Amino acid sequence: MSPDARPRRSPRVVTPARRLLRLAATGLVAGGLWFGLAVTASAEDPTAATGGSPAASPGASPAASSGTATATASPGASSSAAPLVSAPPVPTPIAHPPAGDTNGCVDCHSAVNDKQAEISAAWEASVHAGADVGCADCHGGDPRSDQITVGMSTEAGFLGTPDRTQTVGVCGSCHANVEVMRPYNLATDQYAKYWSSVHGQRLATANDTRVAVCTDCHGSHDVRKVSDPNAKVFPLNVPELCASCHADARRMEPYGIPTDQFEIYAGSVHGKALLEEQDVRAPSCASCHGSHDAKPPRATEVVDVCGKCHTATQELYEQSRHAQLEQAAPKCWTCHGTHDVSQPGPRLFFHPEDPDYECSTCHDLTNRTLRLEIDRFANEADRRCDTCHHPDSQIYAQVQGIADALGGAEGAFEAAGMRIEDAARLGMITADAEVGIAQARTSLIQAQAAVHTTKLKLVSDLSTDARIKADEAQAMAVAKVDESTFRRQAMIVVLALIALSVVFLVIIKRQLDRELEGR
Amino acid sequence: MEPAPIPATDATVTRPGRRRVLRWLGGLTVVSTVAMVVTPVLGFLVPTRSGRAVAGGKVLVATTADIPAGGGKVVAMGSAPAIVVNTEQGLRAYSAICTHLGCVVAWNDLIGAIQCPCHDGRFNPASGAVISGPPPAPLPPLNVTVEGDQIFLSEA
Amino acid sequence: MATGQTAGGSRRTTRWLDDRTRLAPVLAAMVHVRIPMTARTWYFGGIALFLFGIQVVTGTLLALYYKPTPEAAYESVQFITSDVSFGWLIRSVHHWAANLMILFVVLHLLRVFFQAAYKYPREVTWVVGCGLLLLTLGFGFTGYLLPWDQRAYWATVVGTEIAGGVPVIGDSLLLLLRGGSDVSGATMSRFFGIHVLVLPLALGGMLALHLVLVHQLGLANPKKPEPRVRTADNDDEPLRPFFPHYILDELVAWYILLAVLVVLASLYPATLEEPANILDAGHPKPEWYYLAVYEMLKFLPKDIGILAPIVGLGVVIVWPFLDRSPEVLARRRKVVVGGATLIVLALVFLTWRGYVA
Repeated sequence: MSPDARPRRSPRVVTPARRLLRLAATGLVAGGLWFGLAVTASAEDPTAATGGSPAASPGASPAASSGTATATASPGASSSAAPLVSAPPVPTPIAHPPAGDTNGCVDCHSAVNDKQAEISAAWEASVHAGADVGCADCHGGDPRSDQITVGMSTEAGFLGTPDRTQTVGVCGSCHANVEVMRPYNLATDQYAKYWSSVHGQRLATANDTRVAVCTDCHGSHDVRKVSDPNAKVFPLNVPELCASCHADARRMEPYGIPTDQFEIYAGSVHGKALLEEQDVRAPSCASCHGSHDAKPPRATEVVDVCGKCHTATQELYEQSRHAQLEQAAPKCWTCHGTHDVSQPGPRLFFHPEDPDYECSTCHDLTNRTLRLEIDRFANEADRRCDTCHHPDSQIYAQVQGIADALGGAEGAFEAAGMRIEDAARLGMITADAEVGIAQARTSLIQAQAAVHTTKLKLVSDLSTDARIKADEAQAMAVAKVDESTFRRQAMIVVLALIALSVVFLVIIKRQLDRELEGR
Repeated sequence: MEPAPIPATDATVTRPGRRRVLRWLGGLTVVSTVAMVVTPVLGFLVPTRSGRAVAGGKVLVATTADIPAGGGKVVAMGSAPAIVVNTEQGLRAYSAICTHLGCVVAWNDLIGAIQCPCHDGRFNPASGAVISGPPPAPLPPLNVTVEGDQIFLSEA
Repeated sequence: MATGQTAGGSRRTTRWLDDRTRLAPVLAAMVHVRIPMTARTWYFGGIALFLFGIQVVTGTLLALYYKPTPEAAYESVQFITSDVSFGWLIRSVHHWAANLMILFVVLHLLRVFFQAAYKYPREVTWVVGCGLLLLTLGFGFTGYLLPWDQRAYWATVVGTEIAGGVPVIGDSLLLLLRGGSDVSGATMSRFFGIHVLVLPLALGGMLALHLVLVHQLGLANPKKPEPRVRTADNDDEPLRPFFPHYILDELVAWYILLAVLVVLASLYPATLEEPANILDAGHPKPEWYYLAVYEMLKFLPKDIGILAPIVGLGVVIVWPFLDRSPEVLARRRKVVVGGATLIVLALVFLTWRGYVA
């Protein structure tokens, strides 16, 4: 979303009448029919719909999306289908006389009371203090003066605390300025991105000041770098940060959106990797939703969003019959979920028992076209191939073929692994078998990933390859176990021979002892 | 270590039948002891039938013709897979075991990098460092020596 | 009496050989000694000798395939263990015999100590024996590094660090042991050289001296002190022949030890951890026979913890010259026996603690 060149319109001028007008202008498609086959490209492209005044009511969309969502396939789909209100122009930085080496503000405020002293200390420890961004840059006034009547007078341009609506502009006045940000190698698109986010749009259209603004995530006086592990925006801290509002039922109540995402995420493979294993590469909320431009990914976007990390899988998926279905296609989340992504496995193929099939599960009853609703797959137990593919169908047999091929390879791989463990436990050197099983694992992981292509032949070829390699590794391990058994048998024979020798020697010895006594 | 010749097999103490058993037992003791010592020692001295007569040190893995400039190849270094790449900085070799989940990596001509087929982990052919993807650590390097047109690898 | 039953042919050969070597009297002198009926050796010394023989044979065989460089050592040990026929057996026997040898040398020392066999006239035999113990420990220390796996590498790192903690000379000692500031290829070269060349020669020589002394002085009588002057009065000791009576017992003990080695090698073959990785310390721990010292360092200040075992060893070596009383019976040496028992129990306890830690 590029900021519009039009003069800034204050969000306050958006009247209900204007909103109605805009709704009518863009048509009722804005409700989110774009997932159906009838959706047009222009409705798909939000930029195509940006035109005039701030409009539409995104305020209603989140609630609608999480509800019954008659024709939408994704949470947030309706909000993204609505045209965006363009960002207001970037304000100019607050003008004030240069502070020089002195800082009259801090001189007084650090001595006023504990709270003011804390604020001064927080600023001094912040990244801004180091970059010579001082009090007046956000609050205005004359930092040279240590007289309250001069430094904090309206004549000197003192603004006080910027209100939440102004905050974005205050930050943006510098942070959207390429010239100012160049030395710090910082991006300058956060301002534009923010206004395109669900947060920014609410602020712009409904003047809803309860939404997140810059300071809620970055702090105000104590702004820290993203790379600072103590920053709230440090990757490991992001889920907690988002949850501080989004897990709060009271705060979310007006928007009617769920508040259990953090809890669900924390139990997912992604959440465990980030929060438990502290792997900063693991995705946090911002990795899929964006940070400044926070918004739920749309059905058309989800493959690219997941594919950002899962590159190999995306490539395979693109080759699949599923991907060709485009609008009606099952996407990543149809099988893996969203916040609750768990370790995939063979359980994803079939329900333990055939589910009850209704045409409406996958089809639009009015025109019989394919139509998948994300809500249909909210429950993990329903994310199965046979949720859509009926046991009587040809595709069901193909799924069975894929599951069987993979199951065979997985079984062979596990069996080989156990045999190698057996051999290692017996004290045998298993290095060659371990190389063998590493090769089997390579093929097996490729076979598992190949499921995304939905191509039986590819999966079964790779599975066969994996099974052959696993069987070879197993044969090596079995040979070692047999060798160990042979050694133990040989040991018994040797022990018997030694026992005989000992018996012989003892007999001779006793004879000699008798002789000695006799003498 | 063989028992001494049996002394004082006094006929007054030892009956002939018992004597025969004892002799037999003595013979068995000597023969079995010798066999127990000689079998493993001789077996150990006989060169192995397995492909490698010796292990460790430099291993011949390929010839320079196998790996043209800008190319790479997975080779067997003893029982472990290794990858040799011909970079602008010269020949480089690394363990071919991906540091992510232990898959065997491969050379990808299209991207000009070492790539793991499992999760698209990519490694810099000149350093073994991770370029992108899930691998947590670089590929461990191996020593490359070229003698004539033969490429040898050894542990770094 | 030993030659009475030889067949005619072999008797002729013996006579031919003796004619040309004149060794028969030497052999006879070596073999025909008599030992006190009351002597109880439990064959510990003989077993240690047997194990040394095993180590010489298996060690020589292993050296045929082993490559003492950091690049090749691990692979060559792996090759011996998994590819060479009976390689696993040779290596496992070498591994277990090394451990048992240390155990039996120590048991032998304790037996001699508690029976007061180190007293007149066997003081020198004791000192030489202590030298043999030190050489055996040196064998263990240098041999442990050679497979160049994680366990070997890090045990050597902590082991040499203990040596580096010796006051005054510690730093130089560490440098000398490692052949550099770190455990590296240089360390491996000198450990290998010491293990296969220096120590076998030194141990062989000292062992010969030890055996000659034992032969010359005979076995001690644990029941009464050796008389300074032999008279008809005190020379009525009941004796028995060394050969073949004692030798037969010894042979039985050796066979049993062989059986123990076969069982240990078959059920618990020598393993190989991951190749040495200087970046990943894992859980370094020295060999079990250094664990007591290692554990002691956790309780005592470093200097004392390192000096105490050195001083202790020194005291053990010169003990026959400190303990001048002629008494040999334990009940008349209560303080010495009691003190030694306490020290042994403490060492066993520390070793156990170190083992389970």
